[in-house]
Amino acid sequence: MLAIDARGLAKTYPGGLGRAPHEALRGVDLAVEAGTAFGLIGPNGAGKTTFVKSILGVVRPSGGTARLLGGDPADPRVRARVGYLPERLQFPPALSAHDVLRSVARLKGLGRAGPEIPRRLEEVGLAGAAGRRVGAYSKGMRQRLGLACALLGAPDLLVLDEPTDGLDPLARVEVRGLLAREVARGATVFLNSHLLAETERVCTRVGILVDGRVVREGRLGELREGTSRWRVRFEPGAPEAALGAAGFLPGDAPGRFAFEGEPGALNAALDRARAAGALVVELSRDAKDLEQVLADAVEASA
Amino acid sequence: MIVLAVALDLLREARSRRWVLALLAAATLLVVALALGLRFEVVDGALAATRLFGGDLGTDVRAVDVALRPLFAATAYVVFYGGLAFGVVATADFAPTLLSPGRIEALLALPVRRWQLLAGTFVGVELLVLGGAAYGGAAVTAVLWLKTGVVNPGPVAAAAVACVAFAPVYAAMLATAVLARSAALSAGAGLALLLGGIVAGARGVLVELFEPGAGRAAFLAVTAVLPRLSALGNLAPAVAEGRPLAAGHAAALAAGTLAFAVALLALGVDRLERKDF
Repeated sequence: MLAIDARGLAKTYPGGLGRAPHEALRGVDLAVEAGTAFGLIGPNGAGKTTFVKSILGVVRPSGGTARLLGGDPADPRVRARVGYLPERLQFPPALSAHDVLRSVARLKGLGRAGPEIPRRLEEVGLAGAAGRRVGAYSKGMRQRLGLACALLGAPDLLVLDEPTDGLDPLARVEVRGLLAREVARGATVFLNSHLLAETERVCTRVGILVDGRVVREGRLGELREGTSRWRVRFEPGAPEAALGAAGFLPGDAPGRFAFEGEPGALNAALDRARAAGALVVELSRDAKDLEQVLADAVEASA
Repeated sequence: MIVLAVALDLLREARSRRWVLALLAAATLLVVALALGLRFEVVDGALAATRLFGGDLGTDVRAVDVALRPLFAATAYVVFYGGLAFGVVATADFAPTLLSPGRIEALLALPVRRWQLLAGTFVGVELLVLGGAAYGGAAVTAVLWLKTGVVNPGPVAAAAVACVAFAPVYAAMLATAVLARSAALSAGAGLALLLGGIVAGARGVLVELFEPGAGRAAFLAVTAVLPRLSALGNLAPAVAEGRPLAAGHAAALAAGTLAFAVALLALGVDRLERKDF
């Protein structure tokens, strides 16, 4: 079952007063399997937040369709199964965290939510500040409260827009653990973040949005390893000239080399190296980090 | 149910706001000052003398309930227009805050329909104004009752009428906030409609100030569509003074005012349904 199914999703913000219309989404196709953690990454202005808002009905799409958990996002029964943490979340400053959660519980149709509210506050580390006015909270505390609101009612789909924004490193680790527990429970986590390290740690699949289009999408491992670059380490004393002739490029340390080519060419080069007396002690695919994957995708789409 | 939940949330928020609390405290201080400063000398059910902060107001000896009618009528006017002013000032930023970036997105992603948010805000504000005006009206009634032994329904009736009159005013404020998220513009729209409604309520008198022609026709056309707020405001003093009320006239005034409010609310909902956040 698909938790998110967007087909040809488009959004054009109308211009006006001398401004040209802005195409934020240009036909986005994206499918997210239920029970997985999916990360949407892309440069600033790529349309990530517009995409999130479009699938939730906060922004009216100009074209295409979006379905959440098999239903129409406009249906309140569907939205009752979704937890959303928006970017730059604001709360009524005069209310306490407890009041805010009680209000969200009522609007989600959870009644008074009973013991779940203190449990959620405990989970996000706000149990000690539950009675304080939200207006006196730090940015990180507000973010934690937003997360607690999103988690209320154990939703089937969590849509989180920059969830670790404003959090200190230890809190980020806690949030990662919390999201991992949600996925283990069977929930789908859709993460929209510009923090690639966070996405890399939490998500198993990633989509790259550039200029309103999904330019790459797949398992994280596939995206990172979608390269024909290899790292090879030879025993010290290997004949460098022969290795160079076989196509190996010197690396950043003695004995370390790189090779660009498909597996067949790599094996042929290794045969030539071994014939010249070199001994291979380590061979691995030169996996790119997510930053490099994103940079390549942006460059390719330019 | 959702509408009520949104309304109650708004009241909780209002209860925690210093601005709203300060307005209620100011109203309380006025009533306390009135209670301390106003003295009536009632002898055998007749008002012998009235003193405000020690100064004799020079009243004739009359039956107290008759003598105090002008006072109750004036109080009803104060509660009516004070309630409306309190409403405009105290509630101008509720809708802009509700629609602020970072808050509205979270609300719209909940199982809440857009019209329910607007309707809930409207109901919450109406309850707040009704509560504020009723508090003022009841407090003044209580003070006068303790001082004279006379209970007059005028000030409390004025609170109920103020709540009806505030409906189109706040609907205009709400619709304006949806179009342009600004507390100042929202309050400006409310005050403009309030003034327009005062003029419209007296259009029969004011029209005589215009020479026959295009100006008079324009005045009549513009004021024809506006709710007759000042005419509505005259109902409670009439109750206070014991004057007979034409029930049909009062009902027509209230119905027209509420219809105007519903039309403005519908406009606001329509704009909200089309809006991206």
